Amino acid sequence: MATYYLNVPLMDEDVVQLKIGDLVYLSGPAFTCRSRLQRYIFDEKNKLPFSTEQRNLLIHVGPIIVRENNDWRLVSFTPTSSIRFEKWGAKSVKEWGLKAIVGKTTMGEETAQAMKEHKCVHLSPQSVSPNLWLDSIKIEDVYLFDELGTIEAAWHLQLDKFGPFVVDIDCEGNNYFEGIDTIVEANKKQAYKDLNIPADFKYTKLY
Amino acid sequence: MIKKEVLKNVVFDTIKKGSCCIPKDVREAFNSAIANEKTQKAKEGFGNTLKSLDLSIERMNPACPDTGWPLFFLKVGNEAKIEGGFMALEEIARNMVAKATKEGYLRATMKHPLTGYDPGTNVGMNIPHFTYKFVPGNDIEISYAAKGGGSECFGGTRYKMIAFADGLAGIKKFVIDAYAAAARAGAICPPAVLGVGIGGTGNIASALAKEAACLRLVGSHHPEEMMSQIEKDLYDSINSLGIGPMGSGGDTSVFSVNVEYAYTHIAGIAVALSSNCWIARRATTRVYSDGRTEELDNPNWFDGR
Repeated sequence: MATYYLNVPLMDEDVVQLKIGDLVYLSGPAFTCRSRLQRYIFDEKNKLPFSTEQRNLLIHVGPIIVRENNDWRLVSFTPTSSIRFEKWGAKSVKEWGLKAIVGKTTMGEETAQAMKEHKCVHLSPQSVSPNLWLDSIKIEDVYLFDELGTIEAAWHLQLDKFGPFVVDIDCEGNNYFEGIDTIVEANKKQAYKDLNIPADFKYTKLY
Repeated sequence: MIKKEVLKNVVFDTIKKGSCCIPKDVREAFNSAIANEKTQKAKEGFGNTLKSLDLSIERMNPACPDTGWPLFFLKVGNEAKIEGGFMALEEIARNMVAKATKEGYLRATMKHPLTGYDPGTNVGMNIPHFTYKFVPGNDIEISYAAKGGGSECFGGTRYKMIAFADGLAGIKKFVIDAYAAAARAGAICPPAVLGVGIGGTGNIASALAKEAACLRLVGSHHPEEMMSQIEKDLYDSINSLGIGPMGSGGDTSVFSVNVEYAYTHIAGIAVALSSNCWIARRATTRVYSDGRTEELDNPNWFDGR
């Protein structure tokens, strides 16, 4: 397990070295997105109003941002669950040229496959620590604010050692959480015994 | 008679505290986890979260940007009198949720389920939600729970009707299987405070599970031996699974298992679980009939069950 400090725009060589379980801190430009933005672009066929070429880091998040003295004040920020955006995951990686996605949980098989093909990783938090992240995030700009509202708009951020996040999908398509699944499944067998649940237990089918 | 002006302040402060300041028992659970975890990585998961939670108390900002479903639980003295009646209290609660949203203590998270329309206030059809319990006396106790989206959406909250033939083994299997699946990859922000409801109709079991998750202290036990034993057995077994902070592996997989039950129909047993995310946000204030107020660490929701 290694720790990396990476700068955006991310290059292929930055992300292919990452292995599941590694920790990553990120600096440079990023943008935010959740489902309404992806639906607006991919389902409703609108054009993304900015280039992601130098901003190839996407963060799944619904921040709290308030307007104060003609400026934006970031109140709270924690990555939200990526898995619910699986429907648009592969498209986002491919069409936006992403090299990393930060989000809670993980992504599904289709996105992992796209990540393998296009050299992209998924990074997941191990803490819910908005106050430790606030100081490493500056708001640069916002797009689609009127169309999508404050939570789902595309915020442009400037990051300074934003992290740590664990690599949960690497460029080879490996998933960190599959390792945890194996441990949990193995431990469950003993747990069933401890709870007096017979090994051959079957529910009576009620519906 | 409890005046509207008093209630406005109490409700607003309770929402603010509920969103920004984690309860003492939850804070203790973080400290125990930090002490008990074997790996530095897991210790840091809990440690960084606790650091941020303490800063939220200092800065009075939301403990998490997902400030959740706004839920009110009202323990009402049978003789309690409110200026304008309980409909006035509910109107005040709606207004204070909107005010707290405008001031950044809550995120505008509640939207129309189909159109996605966002009023920007967290107020809409049946939201905020009110649950009442009547007790002797003339005080009211107002609890506010900020029920996070992750712990509600990924299978941490659900129910199943099982046959009597499947009994306790069926109940325990449903809880441990459902919890492990829901905690995968940190979806429900584990270790959760897990509420379990047994018996009643599906919605009675679900309501008991939700109240047990949101209103009972971490580490508290049901007063009946049979129920507290189920709590202990499930707590030990789930903690042997290795789920850890945000599902990333570790020794602490659930903070508490809180079981409540209702008598049920001879036809079957409803089993419900409700997971509250690890930062288990809630706040309770008691309002006396003369207008005095008191912040409570324990909602005492199930006193007298």
